[in-house]
Amino acid sequence: MSGRPAGAPRPRGRLPRFLAALRVSAFERNIALALVVAAVLPSAGALWLAGQLADVSVALDPRVVDRLEAMPALYGDLFQARKQLYAEQARAIARGLPRTAEAGPAYLDDALARTPRLRRLTWADRTGAVVAEREAQGPGPDGEWREAPAVVSLPGGGRLEAVFAIEARYFAELNETRELAELVQGLDALRAEIRRSYLRAYAGLLVVWVLLTATLGIALARRTTRRVSDLVLAVQRLAAGDLSVQVDPGRARDEVAGLARAFNAMVREVRESRDRIVYLEKISGWQEVARRLAHEIKNPLTPMKLAFQQLEARWKTAPERDPEFGRLLADVGEIVREEIGTLQRLVDEFSGFAKLPEVRPEPADLVDFVEEFVRTSPQLAEEADLDVAREGGPSPVALDRALMRRVLANLCANAVEAARPARARIHLGVARGPTRALLTVADEGPGVERGLRDRIFDPYFTTKGTGTGLGLAIVKKIVLQHGGEIQAGEREGGGAAFTVSLPVRDAGPGAPDPSPTAGPEGGYNPAP
Amino acid sequence: MRPPVRRLGAARALLLALALGALPAGAAGPGPLPVRLEARAGRLEAALDLSAVVAPGLEKQLGNGLTNVIALYVTVAPAGGGDVVALQGRVIEILFDVWEESYAVTVGDARAPQEIRRSFPDFRALRAFLADQEGIDLGPLAQLPVGPLVVEARVEVNPVSREQLQRTREYIANPVGGRPGGGGARSVLGAVASFLLREPDPGSDVHLLRSRPFERAEVTAR
Repeated sequence: MSGRPAGAPRPRGRLPRFLAALRVSAFERNIALALVVAAVLPSAGALWLAGQLADVSVALDPRVVDRLEAMPALYGDLFQARKQLYAEQARAIARGLPRTAEAGPAYLDDALARTPRLRRLTWADRTGAVVAEREAQGPGPDGEWREAPAVVSLPGGGRLEAVFAIEARYFAELNETRELAELVQGLDALRAEIRRSYLRAYAGLLVVWVLLTATLGIALARRTTRRVSDLVLAVQRLAAGDLSVQVDPGRARDEVAGLARAFNAMVREVRESRDRIVYLEKISGWQEVARRLAHEIKNPLTPMKLAFQQLEARWKTAPERDPEFGRLLADVGEIVREEIGTLQRLVDEFSGFAKLPEVRPEPADLVDFVEEFVRTSPQLAEEADLDVAREGGPSPVALDRALMRRVLANLCANAVEAARPARARIHLGVARGPTRALLTVADEGPGVERGLRDRIFDPYFTTKGTGTGLGLAIVKKIVLQHGGEIQAGEREGGGAAFTVSLPVRDAGPGAPDPSPTAGPEGGYNPAP
Repeated sequence: MRPPVRRLGAARALLLALALGALPAGAAGPGPLPVRLEARAGRLEAALDLSAVVAPGLEKQLGNGLTNVIALYVTVAPAGGGDVVALQGRVIEILFDVWEESYAVTVGDARAPQEIRRSFPDFRALRAFLADQEGIDLGPLAQLPVGPLVVEARVEVNPVSREQLQRTREYIANPVGGRPGGGGARSVLGAVASFLLREPDPGSDVHLLRSRPFERAEVTAR
């Protein structure tokens, strides 16, 4: 469906058009609000849940933090124990030192051999001079190691320095543990900020998501709301009396498009009903005029005829008769009788037009009716070649046979007149649409000028030299009284074509409305 | 080389004033700050007594074998309020060596950008060092305004370092470390969260101290 009702004023200029496109109706606002609420409420819940999740996922177990922070102290305890052990072992070795320096190396070698992790022993006297010094020859502990000295003061002066080995991996592990503990400590300190930043990030992404969702939703909803707004605008124009308003239903097959089509059908129906009423009222007025004219003309005709007959009778019985006057009287009498006859026929036509009988429709099949008309109109067959074509199945309609016969007779008479002096060829066609049956009367004459096609149904309008211009008016009135329509058109290949559409008798109320302006819907198209 | 003391512009001073004012909720006003001020080669040097901050109870924390950081920001400002006229900062890292059973201290400030390393055998010596922060260069004495001034010190114990913050931001931006099969959505969320993770909260272990007012003329030359 297009963005506005057909015929609605379109804003001029790019900016006004852009602003008009941005204008949001109350309906659109409500739809958009509903979409935003639908998007925001779950998002708010998700945000709350994300907060809970962040609390769980970001929070560090305090026991883990505490144990990690305590790890260096544990290593400290380990080192203390080693130091105490080494000190005790060094004191034990010092207690067994020999009294003579000569026995020192052997004693130190023995101590090195029996003391695990002992790598070097240095015995110094009170002056600091080395008495004996021995170093372990065997391999050290597995992996890298570093020295752990333990110094023991000797009772008589001097000192014993024992250098033990301690695994270097302890220090590497201590450093790793310390770095890890510091990292966890930092994370713990940043926990609130991390949680806050995650929540903000999540909220930001949610806002973007909601905006995208709402924008997409509004865009999608607008396809419907705009059509509803157009319908509202069209209804307002209809209420203001604009019966030409139509709404483009577009290519959609949803309820709104159906509503637009129904609206268009309703407006067309209202417009046709109005036109029908206007035309019938106009015809009624003209019928009254015709009745008065017929009355006024008819009244003096009889006295005029009687007076002239008396004049002729007196002339015939006159004793002396002037031959010249006799010839003059004969000529005048012929003229008077002819003119009175013409007036009499005019009066008859006016009277016939004024006294059109009321339509009394009865069920009939349009095809049978047309074929019967052709069969029972021998005088027409003498003046024209007729053919009948039918499309579709039976065309049940309700019609007044006598009056509809008059319709056909008038239309055929016009075709005969139009073809003179040649012999007329008349194509009669019947077609069945969903709700309308179409009767077409086409000829191969000069046709009806496009500009005159609406006026030829007006009373007293004629393009012929003779005639009262009442024939097509009578035809249209009869058709309208049948609930039908008549249109003057053009036959393919040349000639005039009059299409009478009558409602099909068994068409249900829910049947789709035919489009009278769209031409003969599934209708008969007279062959050239 | 003379220590680069920054003369603060109005905007920076305002930011610093805001930072100094960002005390933890519920904190009382600044505590007293005993300070010795001396002029050395025309520059103002301060020696702060931070014994109120470096309490004996800190021994357990500073001796836990982890790296502890004490950040010290010292300013000079008019006693009646106004823009800060001088600012100096010092960062002290303390690591208790559980093998050596001593405190290894690294001091970095504008005067010693390459950092100074010291070692203290026990907490007593360490506390004495921390409590008496000397040689804080507060810029040319002559540029101090006339009128009563105060020295303010902001001491933060174990603030979140910029390095730690950056490491954390990198981690949450890419927690899988580029391993195959890492979730894209998690990376997007983490990237945004990393972007939003900016200045950390200074924490609760923040102390603000303020000296008694002094005049420029009171500062004696050394």
